[in-house]
Amino acid sequence: MEAMPEWLTAAEVYDPPTDKDRFIDKSILSFIGLISKIKQQSGREHDRLWVSPVFKLAFTILYIVLVSSTREFTFVYIMLTYIVLVLAALPAPDIRKCLRGALIATVFTYIILLPSALHGNSYSITMIPVKVFASITAVNILSYSTRWDHIIASLKRFHFPDMFIFVFDITIKYIVMLGEFALQMLYALKLRSVGHNKSKYGSIGGVGGTLFLKSRAMSEEMYSAMECRGFTGEYHVTDKFKFSVYDGVYCALNAGFIWMFVYFQNLA
Amino acid sequence: MHIPDNYLSPSTCAVMAAVMVPVWAVAIKKVKKEVTKTKMPQLGIFAALSFLMMMFNVPLPGGTTGHAVGGTLIAILMGPSAACISVSVALMVQALLFGDGGILSFGANCFNMAFVLPFVGFYVYKFVKERFASKGGETAATILGSYFGIVVASLCAAVEFGIQPLLFTDAAGQALYCPYGLGVSIPAMVIPHLAVAGPVEVLFTLLIVNFVKKVSPDMIEEAPAKKTKSIWGLVLALICLSPIGLLASGTAWGEWGADELAGMTGYTPGGMKNEMGLKILIPDYSVSGMPEVMGYIVSAVLGVAILVIVFKLIGNVKKDDVGVPAQAK
Repeated sequence: MEAMPEWLTAAEVYDPPTDKDRFIDKSILSFIGLISKIKQQSGREHDRLWVSPVFKLAFTILYIVLVSSTREFTFVYIMLTYIVLVLAALPAPDIRKCLRGALIATVFTYIILLPSALHGNSYSITMIPVKVFASITAVNILSYSTRWDHIIASLKRFHFPDMFIFVFDITIKYIVMLGEFALQMLYALKLRSVGHNKSKYGSIGGVGGTLFLKSRAMSEEMYSAMECRGFTGEYHVTDKFKFSVYDGVYCALNAGFIWMFVYFQNLA
Repeated sequence: MHIPDNYLSPSTCAVMAAVMVPVWAVAIKKVKKEVTKTKMPQLGIFAALSFLMMMFNVPLPGGTTGHAVGGTLIAILMGPSAACISVSVALMVQALLFGDGGILSFGANCFNMAFVLPFVGFYVYKFVKERFASKGGETAATILGSYFGIVVASLCAAVEFGIQPLLFTDAAGQALYCPYGLGVSIPAMVIPHLAVAGPVEVLFTLLIVNFVKKVSPDMIEEAPAKKTKSIWGLVLALICLSPIGLLASGTAWGEWGADELAGMTGYTPGGMKNEMGLKILIPDYSVSGMPEVMGYIVSAVLGVAILVIVFKLIGNVKKDDVGVPAQAK
């Protein structure tokens, strides 16, 4: 048996030069965050807060309109209390996620409005951050407590065209599919990025460009698959709407909010 | 550039949404002509693509990263109408499901990012590309298109912010929504876009367009060989739409009294100075016997006419330049 060559026994010291390639890590993180958010909520069997998604969507938009229109701090305060109360009914992980986005936006708003407050505009700094917090929390509660396919399907009740609902639904599904594909490319790029990567721009262009080509290919495939199954361009959304007791209570509660809004408007 | 709720007044949001309705209608009509009804699934996949394009982190010098919107990129890859629809759907997913960008301000966000950005970007791209039909010309077209697209979109957002304190104040003269006038909002929004976001957008668009051209050149949507006359239509629409927006908001342009101005200058002196400057710029503004609203419309029409004349003259000079060597041959 031949002796092992010397170069094989010598310990190899390879210290790759460090490189600033945080754009790969950051892109990977944003894609993972996105995909996990969609997957998490679609894995749920039931919606939280037993109200029909049709009403949830309608009244969430109503809260945002009312909060945005009012000039009465008392009304904003009441709405905020209600929204925080509903938030308290969610499980802890959802609360954390809801609050995270809302608090970042609120702090950002405070910072933006600070110079105007220093010039004596006290109204904006007291009202707008609270309104921003209430609006974003309301949308986040809707988003975290309801399956997204249910929200999309409830658009049917608002007379959105079926084709629009179809496109919207496809969008969510393909954000996950194309996102996973992009993620795999980014992992591959990360694994191969040892030492100094001279063509960072080439890499990102390649990943983005391939993603576009893949989306073209996927849409061709999907169209063919749908045609094979008899798709003629007509798409019908079935409406499975049932009015429950909870919906009744919820509607009554929201009628109360509208009354309160009108009352405060007249007071002003 | 996502405007959250409560920065703009609900009436501004309503006007912006109303402006987007005909834009969407025309875009859908155009797309339907190009994409048959049965190929509708494509729109969903393209919307997903536009959503994902916003997730990429572009490497910047010094190891930092930046985000691109990718509106012009999507418009170059699949045409401005398809870009308008897919970016709108992507924005709706963001607003409704991700809490990113407001629900009321959805119309305004669509106007800036799904209409102004891809259309301005695409038509600047097309305009330059047609005039300089070389490889370098195409690169220049991509650079200018994506840069102008995002900068003009940020300018639109800045104007939307900036008109808030002029239109919506309480009895004490304090702003009800965004408190900064045009003098603050325009530099605050446009300068970062000129300096940072614009170059990031250019870089990202250029990299991907170049890659796709190299790998699969036939994949880039070739818009119908119509000359770029439609850019004048766009300029016209943009100029016409802003006064309509102001009028529909319930306050006529230029109705602010001196005391109101003084009350507002308490915290937005820069923006007010700007407005006074505007009044001086248009002395014919309060023609006796003509309502101020009419005056505004007339000056908008005048502005459009002047722009058309200027651009026509420039176009004519260019044509002559091209014509001379051709005849000499």
